[in-house]
Parts: sequence; C-alpha cells; structure tokens
Amino acid sequence: MALECNIQTRSSFDRKHYFYSDLPAGYQITQQYGQFVYRSSFTHLTITLAPIALGGKLAITLPNFPSLEVRIKQIQLEQDTAKSTFNPRTRTSHIDLNRAGTGLMEIVSEPDLRSPEEAGAYVRALQAVLRAVGASDGNMEQGSLRCDVNVSVNRVGRPPGTRCEIKNLNSVRHMMAAIVHEVSRQRAILESAPDPDTATVPQETRGFDEHRFETYKLRSKEDAPDYRYMPDPNLGVLVLTQARIQAVRDALPELPWDTRKRLQSDYGLSERDVEVLLNVDSGREVWYDGESRSAEAGAVAYFDRLCAGTGSTRRDPKVVVNWMTHELLGQLTARKETFKDNHLSVEQLGELIDMVQDKIITGTSGKMLLRHMLGHPSAKSTKEIAAELQLNAFASSSPSTTSDDSSSQSDALRELCREATVALPAEVEAFTKGNKNVLNKIVGRVMKDSRGRADAQAVRVMLEELLQ
Amino acid sequence: MRTAKTWAALQRVRRVSSSAFNAASSTLDSISCRARIVAHNPHVNAFVHVSPPPSASSTTSALAEKSIAIKESICTKDMPTGCASAMLHDFRPPYDATVVRLLREAGADIIGKTNCDEFGMGSMNTHTIHGPVINPFGTSAHYSSSPLTSNAHSNPPERSAGGSSGGSAAAVAAGMCYAALGTDTGGSTRLPASYCGVVGLKPSYGLLSRWGVVSFADSLDCVGVLARRVCDVRTVFDALNVYDPRDPTAALPEIRAMARDTSRRRVNEIDWAGGRLDGLRIGVPQEYFPSEMAAAVIAPVQRVLAALKARGAQVVPVGMPSTLYTLSAYYVLASAEASSCLARFDGVQYGTHVRPPVGTDLSTSGVGKLYAESRSAGFGREVQKRILLGTYALSAGAFDNYFLQAQRVRELVKRDFRKVFMMQDYRQEVDFDVEAGHSDGSGAGVDVLLHPSAIQGPPLVKEKGLGGVAGYVQDVLTVPASLAGVAALSVPMAAGDAGPVGVSVVGQWGAEELVLAVGQVIEESF
Repeated sequence: MALECNIQTRSSFDRKHYFYSDLPAGYQITQQYGQFVYRSSFTHLTITLAPIALGGKLAITLPNFPSLEVRIKQIQLEQDTAKSTFNPRTRTSHIDLNRAGTGLMEIVSEPDLRSPEEAGAYVRALQAVLRAVGASDGNMEQGSLRCDVNVSVNRVGRPPGTRCEIKNLNSVRHMMAAIVHEVSRQRAILESAPDPDTATVPQETRGFDEHRFETYKLRSKEDAPDYRYMPDPNLGVLVLTQARIQAVRDALPELPWDTRKRLQSDYGLSERDVEVLLNVDSGREVWYDGESRSAEAGAVAYFDRLCAGTGSTRRDPKVVVNWMTHELLGQLTARKETFKDNHLSVEQLGELIDMVQDKIITGTSGKMLLRHMLGHPSAKSTKEIAAELQLNAFASSSPSTTSDDSSSQSDALRELCREATVALPAEVEAFTKGNKNVLNKIVGRVMKDSRGRADAQAVRVMLEELLQ
Repeated sequence: MRTAKTWAALQRVRRVSSSAFNAASSTLDSISCRARIVAHNPHVNAFVHVSPPPSASSTTSALAEKSIAIKESICTKDMPTGCASAMLHDFRPPYDATVVRLLREAGADIIGKTNCDEFGMGSMNTHTIHGPVINPFGTSAHYSSSPLTSNAHSNPPERSAGGSSGGSAAAVAAGMCYAALGTDTGGSTRLPASYCGVVGLKPSYGLLSRWGVVSFADSLDCVGVLARRVCDVRTVFDALNVYDPRDPTAALPEIRAMARDTSRRRVNEIDWAGGRLDGLRIGVPQEYFPSEMAAAVIAPVQRVLAALKARGAQVVPVGMPSTLYTLSAYYVLASAEASSCLARFDGVQYGTHVRPPVGTDLSTSGVGKLYAESRSAGFGREVQKRILLGTYALSAGAFDNYFLQAQRVRELVKRDFRKVFMMQDYRQEVDFDVEAGHSDGSGAGVDVLLHPSAIQGPPLVKEKGLGGVAGYVQDVLTVPASLAGVAALSVPMAAGDAGPVGVSVVGQWGAEELVLAVGQVIEESF
C-alpha cells in the first residue's frame, strides 16, 4: 500500500524445487503461478498470475536531479532460505537455519533505473518505506534486506540489451560497485564484438565478489535449473477482504516523504535539519509490524514530542532542533554513542531547554548539564539535577526584581564581582584610566568564578556600576 | 489351497465370534495383545516395534487401556518412525503426531509401530525394508480363526496383507491390537482392510490432523483408522476428529460442524434401531465394476445390496463417468507431490547421509552428486520410480500435459461425486456451487455410494505380474474417493474362494456418521 500497489484479494503459493543445503525442505514456497481458476467449464482450467500485489510505484530523488518514479511490477511472498557462509580457511560451509522458512517479500521493479546512483537511491528510498511501515528493519548487513540486480547495456537509441542478474547483494555500496563492474564488463563484450549490431551479452546469473569488487559467473541461461513449480497442496488461497485492506490502509503509518514534508512545512525546519533528523531516525529499531516501543522511538518522534512541550506551551522547533542536532547528537557522538543510546527522556531534555529559554540557567550551564546527565543516567528531573549541581543562574540585576531569592542571588553575583575587582587591582586601575577593553578580562574572571552560572551581560553591567 | 468349504466354515465362526464379541473383546487387553504379537508377529511381520506394556491405569476415558498400533510413518516420540525406509531407519521423532497425542490423551496404550510400504507407496506391503507383511487371514495367526487352526491348511500360501498400511490391517486381523492407525493416500487403509477382513476408514480429507504424519502426497494424505468392528472405528475416529491449527489443511471448525450436523440430521431420519432403512438412498456406480474384477468379488456385493434392499433401502445405479481416468490422474498427482514432499530427504538436513566416494567432484556444478548418493541408497526402487515419474510430471516441458491435465481430471472426479450426493459439499465456495448435481432432474441424490473395495481378494505375496501397472490397478476402486477427498469406509463381507473382500461405503465430505451407520448395518448383515 505504501508503494501504491494493487493488492490482490486472492493469491496462492507454489513450491519451487531445487537441492541446496540452504533449503531444508528441498523446495521454497513462493508465488509463481497464482491460483488455479476453474472457469465455467471445468475442462478449461487456467492459471492466473496472482502474487500478493501488482503494479505500484516509488519516487526517488537524487541531488540536483528531478525526482524519478520507479514502477513496481509486483510484490510476492516467499520463504526465506538459510544463510550459508563459506570459510575459505577451513574450506567449509556453515549454514545458519535461523531465518530458513520465515516470510520474505520480493519487490520486483520495472527496468526504470539508469545508473548505479539511481539504483542506490531506489534501495535507500525502499529501505525508508519498509522501515516506516514496519515491514522490515531494512538492515542490509544482517541480511534483512538484500537485492538481486539485473543489468543490461545498450547503445543509445537501441533496444535494451540482454540482462545479467547479480544475486544477493547485501549493501548499497556493494550493489553500486557490482553495477559499475557489470556495466564495464558488458561494454567490453559489446565493444570487442566484430559486429556491434548483432553483438549480445550472454544471459547469466552472476555473483559479487566482495573482496575483489567484481561480479563472477554463477550459471548461464543454459544451466538454469528447472524448478518444477507446483501449487503448494498444504497452503490454501490467501484471501484478503476489502475491509481488511481498508483497515490496513487507514492505519498506515506516516511515510518518509510525508514526514519530510511535515518537518519542513509544519516546523519550518531547514532542509539540512530535516536531513539530519531523518538520517538519525533511520537508525531506530523496527519491531514486528512496526510496533513502536517508547524507549526505542526514533529521532523524529522524539523531536515531535519535544516540540509539543507540556500542556499548552509548545517549544520553538528551531531551538529544539538545535538542541537535538547540535548539543544532544554532538555530545552523543563525543561519547562515541548514537541516538539509540540516548537515555535522556523527552521530559528531561524538554525541561533543560525550558530552563535555558527561561534564563534559569545559562546556555553554558545547559550544555554542561546535558553532558553531566548523559554521563550520569538518572530518573531525576532536570531541575533537581541542576539544583544539586548549583547551576541555577545568578539572576540579572534587574532593579524591578523584588523577590528575596533573586535579590540574594543578585547579592551573590555582586559579591563575586567585588571579589574579582579585589583580585585584579591592576586591571581595575587600567579600566578607571579609560581602558574599557580590560573590563572583558574582569568579566571573564567573574564568569569563571561563577562556573558559567552568570549572564555575561549582567556581569558587565554590574561591574561598570561597581567601578564607577 | 483352502477350499470353499473352509472359507464358509470360517465365516460361520466369524458370525459366532461376532455375536459373542463382548467376550472376545475382553481378551484384547494390552497384555494379551502383546502375547499375540510375541506368538504370531515372527510370521505375520505386522509390527516393527513393540512398546513395553503400560503400567495399570484407572482412567475412564474413551480409549482407556485400549491397545492401538501406529503405522511407521506417523511420528511417536518414544518409538522409531522409519517409514519402512532405509532413508529414515534410525529416525526417532522428538514429538508425537497430533493423532498420537490425542490417542494418548484418551488413555490409549500405544502398543507399537506397524510395517508398511516405504513412505506409503505400494498396494501389497512388499516395498519395505522390514520384509513383507503376511495376511493373517486363514492362518493360525488370525484372531477369530483360532478354533479352526487344526482344520486350516498347515502351510497355507502366503497372501498379501495389502498396502500400504498392511502392518496396521494385519495387526488388527491378528488380534494384536484393538485398533490401528494407518494412512490413506489412494487406498492405503481401505485396500489392506479389504484384504485382511477388517474395517478401514479413510476419513474426509482435512478432518484428522496430518501434523506429525510423514507426507507422501499432501493433497491426498489422510490418517486412516482400522479396527475389527465399525463401532470401534467410530470410537477411535471420534477421539481424533478434532480441529488442529497446526495442520494448514485442517478443515475449519465451522465447516466441520455444518457437515456433521447435516450428516447427523440425515442419520436421524432413518430407523436404524428398528432394522429398517426406508428412505436411505444407496448409489451403485456402474464404472466400479471393471473387467479386471474377480467374479468372486461381485457375488458378495450383490448379497449386501439385496440385504439392504430387503430392509427398505433404495438402491439406484449412478454414473461416475470420470472413473476411467482417475487411476492415471492419481498416479501423476500423487507421484508429483511425492517428488516434492520427499525432496527434503537429501541426507544433509533429513535422512541418512551416505558419503560420496572419495574423489567425487563436489564443486558447485557437481553438488548434485552429494545428494544423489544418499537418495540412491536411502530410497527403495518403488519410491525412486515414483519420484522420477513425479519429477518428470512437474518438469517445465511436461507440466501442462501431465500435472495440469491430471488436475483437470481431479476436478471432473470431484464434480462426479458432487453430482451424485444428496448432501452438499461444504468445502465448496459458493461461486462454484452452480453445478451442484441433484438439480439435474433426477430428484434427490444418494446418501452413500456402495462398491467393492478391491477388484480381488488378497493376492499371493509372491504373485507374479503384480509389478508395474498391474500392481497399480489394485487401487482403481479406492483412488476416486481420495481424489475427491470424501469419506470412505471398507467393511468386510463374506469371503469366497478369493479370501476376504471388503465393500466400500462412500459418503459426501464430512458425512462420516452416515457412512459409519450404513457400514454398521452391512457388518450386522453378516
């Protein structure tokens, strides 16, 4: 549905037979034929092609290029096979059966991609959609998402050439490298042919060597196995009611392009900030059927909740995004952690932002507090922690302030300023002689003594008062 | 050779023992069953594994202390499940099949595992690594024949118990158990029941769970029940007739309920207790009396029909025009599915591994040799033959002409049955119900079909000419009900020179109650 496919209300399953150690049953359940349909007369038994979904599309964007629409031919359901790895040192194969027999969705696109970059963008866009709807965590390294790529080369103005399929590519980087190698290999064949008009590339199934970054021949069309497809007698027809399809459609989560649009238009974020948030968000855990667990919620959800604020007061999205992308992510990176490791609750960070905004603490204290809180996980509120660390700012000495608390704070700040003037007699003298620049040094001294709790402007005003 | 007189005498004894059955049945306890196994199994070869006697239990459940034998292709957690194949000779499943679990829960004593044709493929129970099963009928091993032992031929020719569930049928016939589970893909429960003179039920497809039953052909496989009397078959069937979500082909509870209720309503309309069968409509399909049928089979069927008519049943000839093609269609479909279902036995994950000779090229192109060695050594000739046949039927070039063509025939066979029965086929989707038969002007359809279970009595184990197609012809009367997935019961009739022969009562899908009720009347007529 996210790919705007036409969902089939009836589809069925077939067995694809071959002997290989990654296939314990000797056959893989897939959707090859679709269902047997008995027309009005029983002697006219026909088979209709009916995978679970047909005919969709996915838009992809590349920097500095207009957006491109890739047509989806069909989506079929299959059983995954076991994962086999070969250890060249011991010359043994290892078979991991954990994923054997689990469901796999094969998404087949039409030949709409023209370059390795487009293919890369397509896989990333697909990955984001699959993650958004919770169909897959899209993790290519772990094999949750793999691609088979068909590559063909033709001269400008000629029909597409014969395609070669490269199987089981497990990263966008490998995929793009495989395409680059395959294009040059096929070009070399075509260009070295005596008659370029009739030259063709032999149809093959190829693998990708991750060490040499080259494709290699697995089998030619002639040794393509006969898979002896047979309708699976154990599995019935998969019937999806229109009501069920509608219910899923109604509950469809926000898709990546909607999220991007919303972040830009609702919050007014820059394209750069959106990019950072979406990138961080793509690292979130995807649970079964997209079920979200608050602790693991992604960066976008975290951002949404921070902006929503408490009660009726919403936080300024630009301030929030700065705190998130610069301070929080920056500090996490410094700690060699990722957003996944962030244990700061939305409430804690929100309170911190509020305290800085309300000048209860200074920006400098805020950053320090954030660093402290990341290093010392605690369920306490930010206010409590700030109080423990005595980070509350000295209130600016506004004369209208009458509360005892702030006047006592003001007194404390005045005391700090006085101490500074005593400690730096030479500078005071220079100032009184008209060297206004030296005041910065005295302000710096006060700021240092206040451990960042003071507002520099307020200190400057107070010092000027004192020294006049 | 036995004489007609001997068989007649046997029948007299059978009648006596039947009327005095309660006394006889009391000796079918777990101890005496095991004693009979010890005495007769060396000759009959029905059991391949016997469990130790259970410690006395005081349970009052339906099958309490009833000894039940299990075919070797049905999983039991404490006994081997080798499917009579070298491929699985050392297989001991870590779990019970659902049907076995249900039997245990009903208090049954799982007495042992019975011999069969390898993976259920065969009609004589001769394709087995355990050696053929010998039909106990007419030998000293036969349970009811013990009074006749002295009269019986001291060294009778060995007759086949039938297959593939021959061990299960022979175990019942020899009184080695109260009942036995077999499987029935194309007649593997009904044919041995007919040959051994016991009752065999192939329930409607999808009623008894296949979870834990080693597959031969998934779309045809059924768990079958064998016992000496119809009422015992019913008791065991009732204990097993439970929806199992672990079997994807299990009929859903609401569909079972609809079929059961309709069947029960029909049963209640007939005065069974009063001995009258007025209103019961029995169809006799003309196509089920092929030229290969032995004359000795036809006479007892005629007697059964006459007896039923005398009690008020209406016997009508019916046409099942697709019968002619069923055997070929069955062997194409069953073999195709077998080639698929048995693909897992490659000696790597499943089945006995046989190392290829040293020096064999096992690179990617030669990897097939790795499996070929194990599969050639593990599978017997008949299984190999059917796998090859099925593999061919599914190959790209042959698929349309064989597999698809056979599917078309199967659809025609289903239509034959749908047309002939009065009761609705509840598995059918509404869209396809336009051709429901009984609106074709002939008035009501029939309640059940009645025909011989086999074209002959039990053949000799060493009988010549039963290899190849001649062997397959034995299934000609049983495969149509398998292809249609309907309920079919074989009940023993009076045996003539040819040995025991059963009569089959076939009913609509889910009409077990009706089929068993008719079966019981037939049983009581002899």
